[in-house]
Amino acid sequence: MSETPDDRNAENTLQSDSRADRFRERHAGQTFSGPSGVLFGQAMAQTRMAICLADPAEPNMPIVFVNDAFADLTGYGRDEVTGRNCRFLQGPDTDPRTVAKIRSALDSKDVVAVEILNYRKDGSRFWNALHLGPIYDDTGRLVYYFGSQWDVSDVRAARADEQHARMMARELSHRIKNLFAVIGGVVTVTGRTHGIEREAIEINERIRALARAFETTLDDASQGSVDLRPAVAAVLGPYDPAQDRIRLTGAPVRVDPSLATTVGLALNELAADAAKRGALVSADGGVTLGWTVSAAGGLLVHWSESVGAGIEPPGDAGTGFGIIEALVGAIGGSVLQDRRAEGPCVKIAIPDAVARK
Amino acid sequence: MTAHRTTPLRVLVLEDEPLILMELCFALEDHGADPVSANTVAKALSALEDSAPDAAILDVNLGRGTTCEPVAKALRARGIPFLIHSGDLVRQGELISRIDAEVIPKPADSADVVERALMLADRAPG
Repeated sequence: MSETPDDRNAENTLQSDSRADRFRERHAGQTFSGPSGVLFGQAMAQTRMAICLADPAEPNMPIVFVNDAFADLTGYGRDEVTGRNCRFLQGPDTDPRTVAKIRSALDSKDVVAVEILNYRKDGSRFWNALHLGPIYDDTGRLVYYFGSQWDVSDVRAARADEQHARMMARELSHRIKNLFAVIGGVVTVTGRTHGIEREAIEINERIRALARAFETTLDDASQGSVDLRPAVAAVLGPYDPAQDRIRLTGAPVRVDPSLATTVGLALNELAADAAKRGALVSADGGVTLGWTVSAAGGLLVHWSESVGAGIEPPGDAGTGFGIIEALVGAIGGSVLQDRRAEGPCVKIAIPDAVARK
Repeated sequence: MTAHRTTPLRVLVLEDEPLILMELCFALEDHGADPVSANTVAKALSALEDSAPDAAILDVNLGRGTTCEPVAKALRARGIPFLIHSGDLVRQGELISRIDAEVIPKPADSADVVERALMLADRAPG
């Protein structure tokens, strides 16, 4: 092996242990000399990825090289690990099935990537994303095994947290649906007690629309924003069971969950009115519902009815229109209506509606 | 339609939430049916023993980890039609598909739930 100044970095990185020397002698062609050796040495010294090389030609496949990151991760000094098989990182709670998987990959000279519970020198545990693979020289001879290890304890904890959060979201979703059902019961029973069944039915229709608008926002509310389309589709579903009367033309847009609820409730009023006296009365009537997003992030919702032949379009705003104005006004938006001959057209503009990711 | 029947249809309602139970029973009465209410699996099973209903409406989660599955099996064995009325379709998806009956997700209009149940009762043989 030639001693040039270029070799210094590689030299500093590699253990000048007799075993490592022997290894380099045997693999003179692949040792870390010359420009690529400098690059290798510097990369090994600087990377935060813990790396080790093991010699498959020796019995027990001893470690011949580790970098600083390996020492930092495991707490073992270089001289403590060189010459040992890397299974010393395993401990009492390491899953033997994972170990068997590594074993079989080594036997068949395969690449293997596993997450394995390892132990530091001080006995503390960490989850190691271990990648092992054979390295061949130009002649196709297996020269060593390359192992990279990465502490993924945080990632695993985050995954467990996420799973827990998903479980909680489902429990919450179930409880909320039940709660809405119970509220419906309260309204019906109260309505009966006071002889106002008709009002109770109307109240319950609005409560269920609220439930539908709310429900679709539960699943991805943890992301802070929801897709408007499924929320709108859920609200309008009961008014269009065959899904051929209300055409949704809006592109996917993510909005604040509470905004999806507001838009859903407003559209429920329009659909209820259309079912009573507008485009959803006659079989050849229909609604086109679209939305666009302005450059400033405002949302413009466009409800356009075509009542169909033989139906006189309502000349005045329905009783629910006041509710729409109040809902939209409360979040700084505005409502415009156009009582056209073919059917009413309503535009709802909401400024600053689109969620920023 | 149920008008041609001389005796009202009997519909078992299994529901642990009293207000929903009450609402469904009211809706059944409004539709000229005869509700049989139960808030536990045991009560539903003993109601089945007493006299077979024409149809049933089953909530899935009945508190303390119990579900309507034993009642669904008993109904199936007797050939009595039933529907599932639940707000927990995601977590109980496996159970619900195992039970294999019509599902109405909560919250639903009680009139819709009852009309579906009466339709099943009418369609059933006998």
